[in-house]
Amino acid sequence: MSASINLSTNRDDRRTLVVIFLRGAADGLTLVAPVADDNYHKFRPRLAVGKADAVPLDDVFGLHPNLRPLEAAWKDGDLAIVHGAGGESDTRSHFEAQDLMEHGGVAAGGWLGRYLRARGASQSPLAAVALSPTLPESLSGAPSAAAFESLREFAITDGRKGVRKEDFARAVQRLYALEAGALRDAAATTFEALHRIEAIDVNATPDNGATYENRYPFSQGLRQIAQLIRADVGLDAASIDLGGWDTHFTQQTVIEPLMRQLADGLAAFRRDLGPRMASTTVVVMTEFGRRVAENSAFGTDHGRGGVMFVMGGGVKGGRVLGGWPGLKPEMLEGPGDLPVWNNYRNILAPVLARHGAEPASLAQIFPDFALQPLPLYP
Amino acid sequence: MKTASRREFLITGASALALSGAIFKSVQGWLGEALQYAGQGLQLPLKGTLAPSTNAQLDPVAHALNRWTFGPRPGDYGRVAALGTDAFLEEQLAPEKIDDGLCDRALARFSECWWEPLGEAYEEDAEYLPPVLRRVAILRAVYSQRQLFEVMSEFWSDHFNIDLGKGDCRYTKIADDRDVIRQHSLGNFREMLRASALSPAMLWYLDGRANVKRTPEETPNENYARELMELHTLGVHGGYTQHDVMEVARCLTGWTILAKKDDGFSGNYLSPLKDRAKVVFRKEAHDQGPKQVLGHDIPAGLGEGDLDRVVDIVAAHPSTARFIATKLCVRLISDDPPVAAVDTVTRAFADSRGDIKATLRALFATPEFRASAGAKFKRPFHFVVSALRATNAQTDADRGLLSYLEKMGQVPFRYPTPDGYPTRAQHWHSTLLWRWKFALALANSRIKGTQIARTELHTALGGDAGVAATILNRQPSAEESDALVKSGDSLALLLASPAFQMS
Repeated sequence: MSASINLSTNRDDRRTLVVIFLRGAADGLTLVAPVADDNYHKFRPRLAVGKADAVPLDDVFGLHPNLRPLEAAWKDGDLAIVHGAGGESDTRSHFEAQDLMEHGGVAAGGWLGRYLRARGASQSPLAAVALSPTLPESLSGAPSAAAFESLREFAITDGRKGVRKEDFARAVQRLYALEAGALRDAAATTFEALHRIEAIDVNATPDNGATYENRYPFSQGLRQIAQLIRADVGLDAASIDLGGWDTHFTQQTVIEPLMRQLADGLAAFRRDLGPRMASTTVVVMTEFGRRVAENSAFGTDHGRGGVMFVMGGGVKGGRVLGGWPGLKPEMLEGPGDLPVWNNYRNILAPVLARHGAEPASLAQIFPDFALQPLPLYP
Repeated sequence: MKTASRREFLITGASALALSGAIFKSVQGWLGEALQYAGQGLQLPLKGTLAPSTNAQLDPVAHALNRWTFGPRPGDYGRVAALGTDAFLEEQLAPEKIDDGLCDRALARFSECWWEPLGEAYEEDAEYLPPVLRRVAILRAVYSQRQLFEVMSEFWSDHFNIDLGKGDCRYTKIADDRDVIRQHSLGNFREMLRASALSPAMLWYLDGRANVKRTPEETPNENYARELMELHTLGVHGGYTQHDVMEVARCLTGWTILAKKDDGFSGNYLSPLKDRAKVVFRKEAHDQGPKQVLGHDIPAGLGEGDLDRVVDIVAAHPSTARFIATKLCVRLISDDPPVAAVDTVTRAFADSRGDIKATLRALFATPEFRASAGAKFKRPFHFVVSALRATNAQTDADRGLLSYLEKMGQVPFRYPTPDGYPTRAQHWHSTLLWRWKFALALANSRIKGTQIARTELHTALGGDAGVAATILNRQPSAEESDALVKSGDSLALLLASPAFQMS
């Protein structure tokens, strides 16, 4: 195989961005609760997180106890939180808000796709992946992107329980080796990527004593992303969803298991990657937050401002960034919603800059928007 | 197929069940629909002359089939060999005379594509229409007998690219596909360009709807004006200036589409649903002053007449003939087409004033075309469709199939930027893994909603040798034959082979 083919060193500052989308509009006021705010407890007499139960973060906020696995990242200054985060859509429609957010406005293609295009075509067939049955809109327009639910799909199999077709693969390799130029090289690069993935033991124990809960597909997805990062397959961006956050009825019974999954996956991922977290950023986002006041069905309705997390990649964490005006009834928007004072682009833009996006390309990644990036980094 | 109102369609469906006289027809239709739902009933009978090429190289018949279709089906080689390539080209250039029953059957349940008025499409959920449009595009490419028409429709869909992901394009592209692309695929370029300029989807996609001049201070939106010259007509080095872009934008001010509520551009047009996305000219938002476009004076006060002046000027510009000819040659001859061929096609386009059939006749008659057999690397869409055709597969073109196109990065109508999916090989070489996996999955009927009758195909084509020659469109080489034997899955290897990636 040609010595010029090397998937891992086409950029010195190999960094991976992992985007987690909480579909259904996650309730930021439960995930990161303003437990010291009296109004919070007045608006949420039955659903508020109790101050004594919360994992204390600062003078105002506490994490829901189910997010306790994230406490270490917070204390190590590796996790930043932004409240009042969201987009400009005020329709409170899941579809429209997700659509606009994933496209980065009324734009063709997704923001992640435009970021990857701006970086230029990658040699790797694994530059961008989505751990999902289909590509999310955010990756639309990426130079190449693969959606899959298991790493096992990255093998020459006939689609049945990953039975490898060795004779077939050898015959393919033989025929392409007879070709000339670019087609032969492309086949050689593909076989090299396959060999790297083949070398990944999907059942291997994660590093540093990390454990991903077997029952959670979300955790298993993050585990596979970590495996790709460690295998140096040239991964620039990965996307994974955790859905089910639309908690109109009996919110606690729905949101509590979801938070457990979120925390399990994130904490295991961070521990697993260890020092590699310095060059890996995890962003957690959702389409909007939920109504401040609880409803009569022990749930919450569609709101506006939500919460976003940025973990790793050198973020200056241990902080709730972007301000917090307090929960005063007069500041609420429309039917009683936390407003959006931190547009999601102002959180994503500094992350993308950290991952190599030039200022000029940021303007193309987020068109028709005057960026005011939040100071995420020291 | 005739256009129909969405309401009419729903009402007809309901009343057909109520009226006894119509019950038989309805049940018949319903059965057809149920079969199609599972991707059934769409296999062509394998009969007649199925003998493939006996030549070791791609011969002129094989070459014609490779380029004028999305890949031959079993039996096509014999039919075209008997007919002659010239007669086959003339047949394909008159699509309206070709019976297309199989394709009509495949599309029977997708009446959405013929809805009028367009505004009623807005009654659907936002996620509903894009998969319909994508499935229809695939089904047509696989099942239509009007293959050159489909090849050209794909070409123009890239040329006048629209991404369903932007704004209301998910609703309005139906009409663009029908009234712009397919209406003019083999027609006249100027007419297609004009239709595109007034297409609700294009007005959305390139912001023409927001190109208004209501006050002296307001600056027109130049997005469409720039792409009109850079991508649709003259080409980036075609000799226009920033001043021309601004002047074209001024000419087109005031053309907008009716919206549900005033979004700042549609003014007071608070339309009923049926009028939604209707294209209108708002005189009060038009810049009435004189303009100059590419050296041509356009006097003040022509109002909506400016549009035709602009279309005439850019369509007839010599750079446009060269730009379109080059793109056609890159798609239909080779990634770097010889200058002589581009010159010939440029002349044909200019002399015929943008007659697409005349231009194609000239292109296919060049020695450079004849010498280019097997020179093009199929794009993923072409690869997938050609594999389905070569194996006489039946498909519902639903998720199972689309997911492969997604992994290879060529889902129809999902390219974000206005330049359309790239044509040259280099962009697509990284998709090999998914092609190989697709080949294995198709050969073993492991794609949900897509099946092949492998044993029947094998028998009808006369065993391994017949299958190989049919799929390769020529006799296999000694190396290929040996690899096929050793591969453990010769059909999959044929589809995964380097030769099958080329056309």
